[in-house]
Amino acid sequence: MRRRRELSDRQLGVLFLLPFVVLSLGFVVYPALDAIRLAFHSKLPFRNSFTFVGLDNFRYLRDDPVFWAAAWQSCVWTGASIVLQTVFGVAIALLLHQAVRGINVFRGLLLFPYMVPTVVIALICRWMFNPELGIVNAVLKGSGLVRGEVYWLSDPTWAMVSTILLNVWKFTPFVVICVLARLQTIPVEIVEAAQVDGAGAWRRFLHITLPQLKAVLAVVVVFRTIWTFNKFEEIYLLTRGGPGTSTFNLAVYAFEQATANLKLGVAAATGVVMLTLLFAGSVFYLRLIRQQEAV
Amino acid sequence: MTRATRRRLRAGGVYAALLVVTLVMCFPLLWAVLTSVRPNDEMLSVRLVPQRVTDAHYRALLTGRSMYFEAGAGTYRASTAPSQHFLSWFANSTLVTLATTVLSVAVSTLAAYSVTRFRFPGQSFAPYFSLLGYMTPSIVFVFPLFVTIVALGLADRLPSLVLGYLSITLPFSLWLMWAFLRSIPLEVEEAALIDGASRFQVFRLIVIPLAVPGIVATAIFSFIVAWNDYLIARIFINSITQLPLTVGVMHFFEGTHVDWGLMMAAAVLITLPLAVLFMFVQRQLVVGFGAGAVKG
Amino acid sequence: MNRRQFLATTTAGALTQWPRRASAQAKTGTVRVWGEPGPYGAVAVDGMNEWAQKNAPGLKFAIETIPWSDVYPKLMTDLAAGRPAHCISVESPIAFQLMAEGLLEPVDDLVDKIGRNRLIPGIKWEYWGAWKGKQYVIPAHHQSHLLVVRTDVLKDAGVTKSPAEWNWADQLAAAKAIKAKGKVFGMSFALGRTIATDYYVISLLHSAGGRMFDAANKSEVVFDSPAAVETFEYILELFPTMPPGAVGYTFLDVVDSMAKGQAGMAFYWGRVFGRAAEVDKQVFDTMEAYQHAANPKTGKRLNWNDFQGWLIPKDNNPYIAEIKQALVHIQTSRDWQIRYAQSLVPNVSPVFQDVAQDARLTQHPFFQTKRRTIFEYYVEALKHASNSGNELLQGISPLAGIVHGRAIIAQGVQRMLIDKQPAKDAVKWTHQQLEQVRREHIRLVI
Repeated sequence: MRRRRELSDRQLGVLFLLPFVVLSLGFVVYPALDAIRLAFHSKLPFRNSFTFVGLDNFRYLRDDPVFWAAAWQSCVWTGASIVLQTVFGVAIALLLHQAVRGINVFRGLLLFPYMVPTVVIALICRWMFNPELGIVNAVLKGSGLVRGEVYWLSDPTWAMVSTILLNVWKFTPFVVICVLARLQTIPVEIVEAAQVDGAGAWRRFLHITLPQLKAVLAVVVVFRTIWTFNKFEEIYLLTRGGPGTSTFNLAVYAFEQATANLKLGVAAATGVVMLTLLFAGSVFYLRLIRQQEAV
Repeated sequence: MTRATRRRLRAGGVYAALLVVTLVMCFPLLWAVLTSVRPNDEMLSVRLVPQRVTDAHYRALLTGRSMYFEAGAGTYRASTAPSQHFLSWFANSTLVTLATTVLSVAVSTLAAYSVTRFRFPGQSFAPYFSLLGYMTPSIVFVFPLFVTIVALGLADRLPSLVLGYLSITLPFSLWLMWAFLRSIPLEVEEAALIDGASRFQVFRLIVIPLAVPGIVATAIFSFIVAWNDYLIARIFINSITQLPLTVGVMHFFEGTHVDWGLMMAAAVLITLPLAVLFMFVQRQLVVGFGAGAVKG
Repeated sequence: MNRRQFLATTTAGALTQWPRRASAQAKTGTVRVWGEPGPYGAVAVDGMNEWAQKNAPGLKFAIETIPWSDVYPKLMTDLAAGRPAHCISVESPIAFQLMAEGLLEPVDDLVDKIGRNRLIPGIKWEYWGAWKGKQYVIPAHHQSHLLVVRTDVLKDAGVTKSPAEWNWADQLAAAKAIKAKGKVFGMSFALGRTIATDYYVISLLHSAGGRMFDAANKSEVVFDSPAAVETFEYILELFPTMPPGAVGYTFLDVVDSMAKGQAGMAFYWGRVFGRAAEVDKQVFDTMEAYQHAANPKTGKRLNWNDFQGWLIPKDNNPYIAEIKQALVHIQTSRDWQIRYAQSLVPNVSPVFQDVAQDARLTQHPFFQTKRRTIFEYYVEALKHASNSGNELLQGISPLAGIVHGRAIIAQGVQRMLIDKQPAKDAVKWTHQQLEQVRREHIRLVI
């Protein structure tokens, strides 16, 4: 009787796994491998023929100053976003950890940005940051903080700032969720003991709370860095990588190569570069988790 | 200062901070709502609250009867402006999102059960494959995926979007369901099996109810991925009536002029289903993501 | 509903959208027509549907408006998917590229049906698209960009010389005078990284006597020249009088900046008048259009004129014969031609002599106050017309479409304006990019 059950178990197991395996192989694994294959080919525009070109696409990247600018800008954008997301995320999580009435309403409102489609917040930002008609400049001018218009989306520096702000707005809630979940597992006794000992709020945070958060923060920071580095919509929908190419990151660069220059091979090569960096990042991330779990 | 006063002051401080932070974070959405009811002739003024409110923008979107003013002829003509297709876009998004969510949950739950209950060679790699798949940016595989979609004859059709979104949601959904199913103790199942229940019955009647939080988290995740996507729809879909909301609404910038009231109304309508969803599942979201992300 | 049923319904839904197979008797289906943003595409398609109702009742022509920045991605994805639009009306440089790539159906058989000698004297069928002896594009209209000014703003700034007599120095002086008054900006250009910027720069380049390619000599790149440097430096001089956001401007931003009264002058196509009439009557009343300021050295006052026409992709297109007949129908019907032109006055300029002379053409309300301006667009502009695909009207180079698709000229100008490179270096960089384009597509021009 047991043998019969084991056989049907095995069959059932395969059956349950089949749809996932088929879909994954066809639409996850195969395209990823094909993306690597395409990096070594070149496609004629408007025609469906591919020719093998070896490392030509990578040489194109190496010689293209826009590629290197995009890589550098990726780092700047990612770095600034992560720092701000982490600082704000921890601050807001601490705020939301208070036991005041109605805290759930605030929790809901402050976590909602994470779910808002990037398109929506990009449209709203384009409207708010419109130099002549937008509310941001109107407030800045009205309060006397600035005299002229700030060109949020057509000045290279401010465009970078705008895209960073959008990214921070949208993804700080993610940090908040993770940190809040961890805060809720910190035993109350430890905090209360410190209070009784007379430690002020800041010292309590620094010496008790923060060490408890180190683990989750490390994981969150690495995770968000990997994600942010490769984001496309958060930049493209706001500035299209402009003005000029000043807010290009690698994802926007790849997109432009494919759709404006019709160079699918170069876009794929950029993808391979991104995958390599991603792989290195995730190896680091996995090692970090293993360390945490070991502790 | 008494303890009670200090506590009240502290609570007051917390509320003040919460209000400020919430106001700042929610201002963009609030501003979108205010703009969406602002009549066009007040669009240039910077009053926070408009003098008159109008539903003209929502009507234009929801009736699909977008008009442009033919200057010179002095009349309104039916327009070829993109906004006339808003309703089609809404239907497309809804259809694709529901299909993606259902398929995502079903396929990943079955697969996760299989991976956690039965022994397969190489099955310890499954979660790490999931993670890698999840973290691969769409831009890398969207073009090769498009080539596959074209070969299947699905270009410019809604099912292509479902397949595209599944390629994003499946890896992470597997990871979520794997984490949940792994934490369900085997004893209950074993007991039922010994009592004579079939494996499938056990799955349906015991495991699934226990895994509901995970299923909800997976469903929410898939919903968000499908509803919010831009890049995949931008590449896969071409005809203006087949677009989902996210890509369609970007066409508003390329009409004959920029209509901010219309755009903000569209922004509000796109966000509305998510707001409704969010209200119902707030709590589960915190539990699901917190657990998944921290536990790894 | 379980998973299988769901899949079935979505698949069924998808499959029913296939165009139905053509029967031996009557074809059925939807003929997809691409046009740029604007009402005229829809008017033309209405005319085509009028033909279809009588002669091919199973067919329906449907217009799809393509934003200017989306033409390349759409072309790429559509052609890759094997489902191109069946009939396209697109900017001439892109039409020239498609024609040279061998993607279009020749339309010589239609030239005589529509009227070989019907064009307004001075313009030729080739301007719309002829390649290696064959005609590939049917003229729809022409649309040039001119110098648009606010007469009240000019007067207020103390500019007395009529724009009709300006040269580049006068234009710059006027822009500076307007800006000095502090109320509005002097000039508005599109300087974003888009196709719009290319057009602005090219028209100035042509007036200065320069070109991108030598069409008569295998499209050899001749961009790096004193004329190009002069053009870039002139733009640099004009730049401070423009709205600072101009480096992000595309077509619509210039329209809005003019129609909303933020700039005193702009280069634009006729569309800006329609928009002004909609937005601010006072602005509309005081706006006038003139031919461009003359280049002081060459005396040329060239504009960028889009000779826009209809083209028919030849692959995977089951409706070629029907489209040809429908096109003949609307092009030979004076009614439809007038309706087409009047859908956006004065942007859409008629190309057939009989239509231009028809009394009904001038029965649009704009003619009451803007008659002079409208005829500047309709008639005068043709005398100074030029196009980046057909530079100085001396011959077509298909490489222009590629250049514009990548906004190479725009990038060059932005290196000067945003990255603050000297004009000479920006010109050299642009020249190198153009040479790369030529190298990659050499098979089109040999």
